[in-house]
Amino acid sequence: MSSSGFRIAVAAVCAGFSLWAMEAAAGPPEVAQVKSRQDKFRDMGGALKAIVDELRKQTVDWDNIVAPNAQTIKDRSGYLINWFPKGTGPEGGVKTHALPAIWQTNDDFVRLGKTAEAEAVKLNQAALGKDRNALRAQAEAMSKACKACHDSYRSPERDNDE
Amino acid sequence: MTSKPFHDLSKAYRMELAHAYTTDLKVWDLPVRIMHWILAIAIGVCWWTGANHQLEYHFYSGYVILWTVLMRLYWGLVGSSTARFSNFVRGPKAIVNYASALHRRDTPPSHGHNALGAIAIIIMLGLVLTVVILGLFSVDVDGFYSGALSSYVTFEQGRHLAHLHQKWLDVLLWVIALHIAAVFFYFIYKQQNLVGPMLSGKRPGDGGEAEMKIAPLSRFAIGGVIAAALVWAVSNGFYF
Repeated sequence: MSSSGFRIAVAAVCAGFSLWAMEAAAGPPEVAQVKSRQDKFRDMGGALKAIVDELRKQTVDWDNIVAPNAQTIKDRSGYLINWFPKGTGPEGGVKTHALPAIWQTNDDFVRLGKTAEAEAVKLNQAALGKDRNALRAQAEAMSKACKACHDSYRSPERDNDE
Repeated sequence: MTSKPFHDLSKAYRMELAHAYTTDLKVWDLPVRIMHWILAIAIGVCWWTGANHQLEYHFYSGYVILWTVLMRLYWGLVGSSTARFSNFVRGPKAIVNYASALHRRDTPPSHGHNALGAIAIIIMLGLVLTVVILGLFSVDVDGFYSGALSSYVTFEQGRHLAHLHQKWLDVLLWVIALHIAAVFFYFIYKQQNLVGPMLSGKRPGDGGEAEMKIAPLSRFAIGGVIAAALVWAVSNGFYF
């Protein structure tokens, strides 16, 4: 092997080791935290989808579908700003869509999180009110609250949701 | 017109042929032209609205695309002669023959889709239909804006299909880029204007060439109503 070839090989090994070290730097608690919040957000997305699916139908199942899913969104949203402790961003090497801006402009992130929480409470009230139009309008308001946060604090990578 | 393949024609004869283009021949009927430009505009709108999260308009333009693709498939079976798959989809030998003469500048224009263009049409129609169907089952990350048929899949499945929807759109955009590049190639290198006929329906030719057989517009209208009813049913998720 020539000297330049040797240097390239050493550089490649170092780069590989650095990537491994970055991955390892995010210890199990951070990885578990990210996985946990992804699962909870997935639950919330699935719950909103279930409500929207129900609104497509002629007859809405308020008690078995709408109410429990609205409750899930309300319960989860009450804690969501706590799911982002420092160290659970991409800087630690964890695979996440969470952008570093969450911790850089945390006041704004918390404000949007509280807005989502307030919309989730209203969604739950609309579900209990069993008014189709009110529920549809509030589901859209909930979606806008989610989107407002995603626009600023979630990376738009397209490969997958992990 | 001679029955010889165009690459066997002498240069003098080809020049004579070029000078003989004194007539406008009908090559595309009104439905094909309308469907072509609706598809071009609607795909552009769908792309822009999808990229900018204007999903309500994304859905509407998606339904327009679905209707147009269904109609193009229908017109490929019962439409005017140049629109029919049986007339423009050719076998491997014809494709190889056509491709081998692609570099020549003096070939006469095809009456309808050429052998390579036919492949592009089939691939594009297939890709557009694939992207639309994937979109119908896709679910947005928030779970609110979802395809009309997304209630038949779970949130996770819908998210996976949404990613596939985007990936196959990328493939479609590359094929469309190739299609546009081919149009430029024909215009600049072979000096054949393919856009003009797709607007006017006519291309230069001589009186000896066979005219296209035009299908009645009433047949298009009947298919259009049935396709619209199907798209309406899809847009309602088949909940009646």
